[in-house]
Amino acid sequence: MSNVNTGQLLNFQDYSPEHNDRSARIDVEAVHTNQYSNSMSNPNYDYEEPKIAEETEAAPQSNHNFWTIEYYQKYFDVQTSDVVERIISSVLPQKVTPNYFDERIKGKPDLYGPIWISVTLIFTIAVSGNIASYLNNANKTVHWRYDFHIVSYAATAIFCYVWVVPLALWAALKWSTIANSQDEMETQEANTPTMMSLFCLYGYSLAIYVPVAILWTIQVYWLQWLFVIVAAFVSGAVLIFWLMPALRKSRYFPILIGCILGLHFLLAAGFMSYFFHSPGSGGITPLQPVITSTRAPV
Amino acid sequence: MSTFDSKYDMYPAGDVGVVEGEMNIPSQGAPSGDAMEFNTLDEPIKETFMRDLRAVGNKFYHVLIPREKTSLLKEWDLWGPLLLCTLMATILQGSTQRADNSNDGGPEFAEVFVLVWIGAAIVTINSKLLGGNISFFQSVCVLGYCLFPVALALVVCRLILFATQTTFLFFLRLIISMTGFVWATFAATKFLGDSQPPGKKALAVYPICLFYFILSWLVVSHSNV
Repeated sequence: MSNVNTGQLLNFQDYSPEHNDRSARIDVEAVHTNQYSNSMSNPNYDYEEPKIAEETEAAPQSNHNFWTIEYYQKYFDVQTSDVVERIISSVLPQKVTPNYFDERIKGKPDLYGPIWISVTLIFTIAVSGNIASYLNNANKTVHWRYDFHIVSYAATAIFCYVWVVPLALWAALKWSTIANSQDEMETQEANTPTMMSLFCLYGYSLAIYVPVAILWTIQVYWLQWLFVIVAAFVSGAVLIFWLMPALRKSRYFPILIGCILGLHFLLAAGFMSYFFHSPGSGGITPLQPVITSTRAPV
Repeated sequence: MSTFDSKYDMYPAGDVGVVEGEMNIPSQGAPSGDAMEFNTLDEPIKETFMRDLRAVGNKFYHVLIPREKTSLLKEWDLWGPLLLCTLMATILQGSTQRADNSNDGGPEFAEVFVLVWIGAAIVTINSKLLGGNISFFQSVCVLGYCLFPVALALVVCRLILFATQTTFLFFLRLIISMTGFVWATFAATKFLGDSQPPGKKALAVYPICLFYFILSWLVVSHSNV
C-alpha cells in the first residue's frame, strides 16, 4: 500500500516557468494532507482532488477577455483581513510595514475597497446630510422633507474624485518621469505606481471620511471645520507618505503635493459646506427646500 | 419536464412506426379530457395562475422563516421581486402635489425601481467577482425575495403615517424599519452566505447589508402624506 502511495507522490509534474507560487504551494499541502490521511481513507481519492483544483486555479491567472467577469476577479481577490488592513493603513500607516504600499498594494491592487468605500461614503453622506438638515430645521415651523437626491450629487462628486484625480496624477507622474535624465529611467519606471494601484490608494484614502461624515451632523460650526481639516490632513498626509518615493522623482514635486493635499481638502470642505451646513445668505441648496435659514449657531 | 415525461411514457416504442397514427393522437386526446394528456395550455387560467402564485407565496414564507434554502435557490423566479419592487416604488415615490418643485424630497418611482434592480445586480456581481459559486439570477432572486421584510415594514409605516405624527410614532417607524432591515439581512445572509469562501464571507455580506440599509433608510424617511 505504501509503495503505491510513494509512487503516486513522486509523480513529478512538469511545471512551466510562469507557474506561480500559489499553485506550487497548494501542491505541497496536498502531499501533506495525503500523508495524514493515509491510514484512514483511500489515498487515491485524496490525492487526485487537489490536482484538479490546481489546474483550474492556475488557468485564470492569465489572459481573460476584457469583457468577462473573470478578468476582473483578480482585482477582487482579497480576504476580509486584507481589506481591514488596507483601511487601517490608509489612516495609520505606522501600523503596517513601511513598504506596505510597494509590497502589497502595488503588487496586488484591489477594487473591492475603493468601490465599496465610495458607495458607503455616498450613502453615509446622504443619510447624515438629511439628519443635519433636519436638525437645522428642527425648531422651525416648516414641514421638513427629506431629500433623496443628495445621493446623486454625492455619487457624482465622489466617483469623479475617485476616478479622475488618480488618472490625472498617474498621467502627471508618467509625464514628469520622462522628462528626467536617461540613466535614472530604468529605476523610475519600476517606481512609478500603476494606474490601478493609484485607484486603490485613493479609494482607501476616502475611508476616513465615512466616520467624519457621521460626525458632521453635529451642528457646531467650528467643530465641523475642525473635522474637515483633521480628516483632509490625515488622509492626505498618508496619501503623500505612500506616494513619496514616486513623487520625489517627479520634476514638479512640490506642485503635485500641493495639488493632492489641496484637492483632498477641497473635497472635504465641499462636502461639509454643501451637504451639512445650512447656507448663509443667497442660493437655495437642495437641503433647504422652503426657506433659507440663517447661519447655524456657532 | 413532467409533461414531457408523461407524454413520452404514453406511447410505446412500437407505435411510433405508424406515422399517420402519431399525427392524429394529439387532436384525439384533447376532447377526451384524459388526465394523462396534461398540458398547461389545457388547464384553466386560474389554476396556472394560482400555482405560480402559490410558489411565490411559498418563497415569501421561506424568507420570513429562513430554515431551508432549496426552494429559493433551486427554483428561482423574479415574480416575487417584481411584485415587491413595484409595491415599494409605488408607495415610496415622491408626492405628486409638488411635482413642479424639484425639491419635493422622495425618490421617483423609477429611481426606487432602478435602485432595487441595479442594487441587486451590483451586489450579485460583487459576490461573483469575489469568487462565489452562485448563478446570477439565483442571487438576484434571493436578494429580491429578501426585500419582503423591508416591504412589510414599509406597509406598516405607511399605515402609521395615517395617524397624526409625533416623536413617538417616528421612533416606532424607525424601530419597525430597522427590524425589517435586520430581518432581511439575516435571511439573505443565510441564503447566500455559504456560497462564498470562508475568508471572504464578510466582504460579500457587507454590500448586502448596505443594500438593505439604504432601502430601510428610504422606508423610514418616507413621510409624504
